[in-house]
Amino acid sequence: MSKPTVGIFGLTGCAGDQLVILNCEDQLLDLVSLIDIRDFLMASSENNQDCQLDLALVEGAVLSNRDAETLRAIRKRSKLLVALGTCAVWGGVAAMNRGADRDADRDALLEEVYGDIGRGYDSTPAQALHEVVPVDFNITGCPIEKEHFLAAVASLLNGDLPLYPEYPVCTECRMRENNCLLIERGLLCCGPITVGGCDARCPDLRVPCVGCRGPAGDANAGSLVAVMEEMGFSRPQLAARLRTFAPGGVA
Amino acid sequence: MKILKLPKEKLDLFASVVQQFGELHAPVEQDGRYVFKRLTRWSDARLEYDRTILPPKKYFLPPREALFRYRPGEGFVPNTDGLDQRIILFGVHACDVYAINILDRVFAGKYKDPYYQARRKNIAIIGIDCLPDKQCFCRSMRADFVDHGFDLFFYDTGDYYQALVGTALGDDMVLATGNLFEPVDAAEIDDYKRRSWNKRRAFQVDVEIRDLPEIFEMEYQSEIWDELGEKCLSCGSCSMVCPTCYCYDVADDVELGSRAGKRTRLWDSCLFASHALVGSGENFRGSRSSRIKYRFYHKQRGFVAEYGRPSCVGCGRCVSACPVHIDVVQVIDRLRRVEDVASR
Repeated sequence: MSKPTVGIFGLTGCAGDQLVILNCEDQLLDLVSLIDIRDFLMASSENNQDCQLDLALVEGAVLSNRDAETLRAIRKRSKLLVALGTCAVWGGVAAMNRGADRDADRDALLEEVYGDIGRGYDSTPAQALHEVVPVDFNITGCPIEKEHFLAAVASLLNGDLPLYPEYPVCTECRMRENNCLLIERGLLCCGPITVGGCDARCPDLRVPCVGCRGPAGDANAGSLVAVMEEMGFSRPQLAARLRTFAPGGVA
Repeated sequence: MKILKLPKEKLDLFASVVQQFGELHAPVEQDGRYVFKRLTRWSDARLEYDRTILPPKKYFLPPREALFRYRPGEGFVPNTDGLDQRIILFGVHACDVYAINILDRVFAGKYKDPYYQARRKNIAIIGIDCLPDKQCFCRSMRADFVDHGFDLFFYDTGDYYQALVGTALGDDMVLATGNLFEPVDAAEIDDYKRRSWNKRRAFQVDVEIRDLPEIFEMEYQSEIWDELGEKCLSCGSCSMVCPTCYCYDVADDVELGSRAGKRTRLWDSCLFASHALVGSGENFRGSRSSRIKYRFYHKQRGFVAEYGRPSCVGCGRCVSACPVHIDVVQVIDRLRRVEDVASR
C-alpha cells in the first residue's frame, strides 16, 4: 500500500502548531516512514503544491481573501481536512473582538491600525476554518498537544478518527488533586468551561486557565459568568477573558 | 473484634514500626487543603485534617491506569505495574472507609475487577475518627461509623487512641509493636462513649434519607432538575472528588503504524456531554438537566434498589468542589419540602 500523502499548512497564525509537529523529534523518522509529507512549507523548500492529498492539516485562522482562497484550494485537493490549533478551530486570538469591533467599516479600522497604507489591505474579519470550508475534525490547543497530533496520525492510518476529551480542564485538574484556583483563591479561572486534554498544565502550576483550548462540550458559560459576577468580576472583564480564544462565548 | 488502646505519645513509634508492612501514606497539607500522599517524614502527617481533596479512591481506582497492552495475533498482556505495591493508608476517616466498602460491592462483588482487587488486598487501611465540620453529613448517610473495611481504626479518647482491630493484618501490626498497645479499662470505655456522644451532637447538617428513593420517584418531573441543569457546568468536579463515583471510560492508545496499543481506563462522569453518547450519534442524556438528575437518582435511588443504601456517604466533598454551589443537602431538603410540591 502506498503511503498516504499529507500536506501541512499555515494560514494566519503563529505557526506554533506546525512547530509542535516538528518538535515530535522522537517520532519524526517513524512519521516520514509511514506518511508521505508532500507539502509543508515550514519544514521544506521543495514542495509539491498541486498533488492530491489524503490528509491536510491546516493551522491558523482565515484573515484575508487570500487565506480563504488558499484554504479552498487545500480543501479541493485533500480527502480529509483537519483544523490544527485553536485559531483554525475557533478563530483564536485574531477573532477575539469579532462582532464587537468595527467590521462594518473595515477600511477605517485598517487606516487606524496601519495608517495611510491601510486602505485596500486584503483583510477580513477572522474566521475559523469551518466557517469557510467543511472540516473533518479538529485538534484544538494553543498550541496543540503533541500526543494529540500523533494519536490522530496513528488512528487515521488504521482508518479511524481520533477521540479527544470533551470534558473541561477542571476534570484533569481535579484528577491531579490541585487546590481549586477559582473556588479557593477567587481567581478568574476558565477551567470549568474550557476543553481539557492539556492535563490542566496551567492550574497545576497555579496559573489560572485562560481558555486557550476553546470551549468544552456543552460549556455552560452563562452559569460560570453568573458565579464570577457574584465573586466581584465585572462583565467586561469576564467578556474580555472569555473571548480571548473563542469569539462569541459571552458578550 | 479486638479493642485495645495506644498511648498518644507512642503513636510515632507505632508509625515507624508499621512501615515494615508497607509504604506509609497519610494526609499532608497542600496550600491549606489536604491530600493523601507518601510520607517522607512522619511529622508531615496531619491526622486532624478535615477532608482530602481526592478521597482514598485514587489508590484503588487511579484516575488513569493502563489495563493491558495488546498486539493483533499475539493477544494481550495485562498490566501489573504497581499492583503488588504494599501501602498503608494512615488516617482514613470513617466515611471514606465506608465508601471503599461501597466500591468493594461494585468491583469485588458480582463483577470482579482484578486491578481493584489486587490493590485492595495490598493496601492496608488505618482509620482515624474525626469530628464533623459544617459540610459533613455522614451521620445522616449512616457512614459516620464503620465496623469493617479497615485493618485498624483509631479513636482519640484524650490521652489514648482506642484501637479497633479489624483484620488479621491489623492484629499483626499490633503484635509487631511488642507491647505498645494495652488493654482498655473502664476509664477509656467511658472516654470512648463520651467522645461518641459528643461527635453525635457536633453534626450541623442533617438529611433525612428514610423514604428518599420514594420521594425521588415522586419528584421525577420536579422543576428542580431543570434549575440544576441551568446551573451545572458539567465540569465533573463532583464526580472526581466523590469517594463512590466509580464510572470510568476506556480508551486505546494506538501505536504509530500498527494496530497494537495500550488500553487505558480513566475516571469518567455522568455529567459529561459525552457520557451517554453512543456510536450512532444518539445521546441518551443530551441535556445537562437530564445528566445531573441522573447523578442524583443513581446515588440516592438506583443504588438503594441495587445495594440497599445510597451510594453517598456524606463526606461533603462535592459541596465544596462545585464552582456553582450545587449542594446535595439543599437539593434533598428542597425535594422533601411540601411547599415546593404545593406551588407546582
